[in-house]
Amino acid sequence: MISTDSGSAPGPIKIGVLYSRSGVTASAELTQLRATMFAAEEINRAGGVLGREIELVSLDPKCQSRNYADLTEQLILEHRVRIIVGCYMSNTRKAVIPVVERHNALLFYATPYEGFEYSRNVIYTGAAPNQNTLPLASFMLTHFGSRVSMIGSDYVCPYESNRVMSDLILEQGGEKVDETYLPLNARWEDYLDAAKQIKQLAPDFIFSTVVGEGIPHLYRAFAHVGLDPHRMPIASHMTSEAEIAIMGADVAEGHITSATYFQTVDTPKNRDIVARYKASFGDDLVTNMCWEAAYFQIHLLADAIRRVGADDPTLLLRVLPGLEFDAPQGRIRIDEHNHHTYLRPLIGRVNGQGQFDIIGSAPERVKADPYVVSHSLPQWIPDARPGLERAGDYR
Amino acid sequence: MKHSTEISPILRDLRSLKVVVIHPPDEDREELLAQLQRIGCATEVFWPRVDSLPMDTGLVVMAVRPETLSLNYPWLGTNSSPPVIPVVTYENPITIEAVLQLNAFTIIPSPVRSFGLLTAIAVALTQFKASRLSQRYIERLEQKQAKLRVIQQAKQIMMETRGVSEEEAYQLLRAQAMLKREPIETVADAIIKARETLSF
Repeated sequence: MISTDSGSAPGPIKIGVLYSRSGVTASAELTQLRATMFAAEEINRAGGVLGREIELVSLDPKCQSRNYADLTEQLILEHRVRIIVGCYMSNTRKAVIPVVERHNALLFYATPYEGFEYSRNVIYTGAAPNQNTLPLASFMLTHFGSRVSMIGSDYVCPYESNRVMSDLILEQGGEKVDETYLPLNARWEDYLDAAKQIKQLAPDFIFSTVVGEGIPHLYRAFAHVGLDPHRMPIASHMTSEAEIAIMGADVAEGHITSATYFQTVDTPKNRDIVARYKASFGDDLVTNMCWEAAYFQIHLLADAIRRVGADDPTLLLRVLPGLEFDAPQGRIRIDEHNHHTYLRPLIGRVNGQGQFDIIGSAPERVKADPYVVSHSLPQWIPDARPGLERAGDYR
Repeated sequence: MKHSTEISPILRDLRSLKVVVIHPPDEDREELLAQLQRIGCATEVFWPRVDSLPMDTGLVVMAVRPETLSLNYPWLGTNSSPPVIPVVTYENPITIEAVLQLNAFTIIPSPVRSFGLLTAIAVALTQFKASRLSQRYIERLEQKQAKLRVIQQAKQIMMETRGVSEEEAYQLLRAQAMLKREPIETVADAIIKARETLSF
């Protein structure tokens, strides 16, 4: 038996990966998986971390929350992993947290979620509501009006997003004309019925918190009943380049998304990373907000490991809070107190290529405030340049 | 249970809540203060003695420890006492008894975790408010009941001494009260006292 005791060369740095390759949110999670592999490859090609290679131990939870606790234990006990990246929907993260807390492991979570959580064993690299829902609400209420129809997937994150949106609508003297929740596995016909209903109600815009496979259904149903995105767009903080690639640019064009990253972010760094990603993973692939968070969190982690000279979670937790990194979106920072990430909110509108034209952006990165109950409108929104005139007959 | 978008003002106003934390310096206190900061409450820390609470204290989070059992907190148990959430480390009968003395609506177990504090605060503030309201309601009912008793007694005296009906007795009382610009129960009280004075 080969000894792995201290004295011999340390083996690779193992990172557990829990992204689903099949299931309702697999399309976004697959982009997170590829981003993780891409970042690990970059690091390994440059000589690894502390001379050690990054080894990904990837298990497939298939979007089933009941799989997550078992797979996390498996990663920790059988694969000797103490650092895990993954999870998408909140119920999957809630299943993993008790296990990582019990074993003092670390979870890096790269998906926007509804907030109201902190665990010392989790680093949250996706947006909190004050970084996506709030800017989106402000933008839409300012530029489109305050008669709003809401449609979402039936689980916790949409409820909370709609609560924030409802508050801001009422504050503006507006009206919530409709609030519909469809099951995560709802069929095309269900979305078609919802689109017909929306057409009848004729709101100023639609706020969508639909996730995963339902997103292409919704946008297609919307086009199918003849609704015009330039007059009455769908506004979302979950619809990304990944889902647009599935539904097609013709269906998505004109709709609006709030995110802390779009593939079109125009910096030399992002252009370079996107080009290299396409070169190694395929020219037809696109990046998105979840991809970017999954990508930069691996580099952030590698940086933390270099700083402490070890991959032990207790040591890493001494440097991760407060750590900054030049991500594709710009410089990000992990907050010392809430373990969430300072990110830069953007508003994008889908163009004919299925990419986002950035029509609004916060002047600087915004601190995540996961525990805020009553939101107030950010100052930068009225300055956003929607360029709506170019879209034609906006009233 | 259908979720509701009607959020309690208690949750909305958390960012203006002032929390007094009475807790020895240890990991539990660090966790408490860090989570209160994330929630956005203002905090002030004491240990072990606090003879008077700072102005505008909306909530007290307080370690119940063997060393606090003998301490007297004069601001506890008064009409203006804020709600208290005990942080408990022991579950022996004496500690539980001390917790019960605080009239708490919820507790925080040690070791303190960040998760659960927000819900505990919401439950404590909501139940405290509801309990204050029902206490005030009971007090008002009791006062009203006492007035009615006095008026009833005075009417009885009038009926006996003047030989009038109950309705006439009431009208006489009412007329006196209007004349003297006093509440009817004050007049009634004076009649009862006069009778007591005369009949010794």
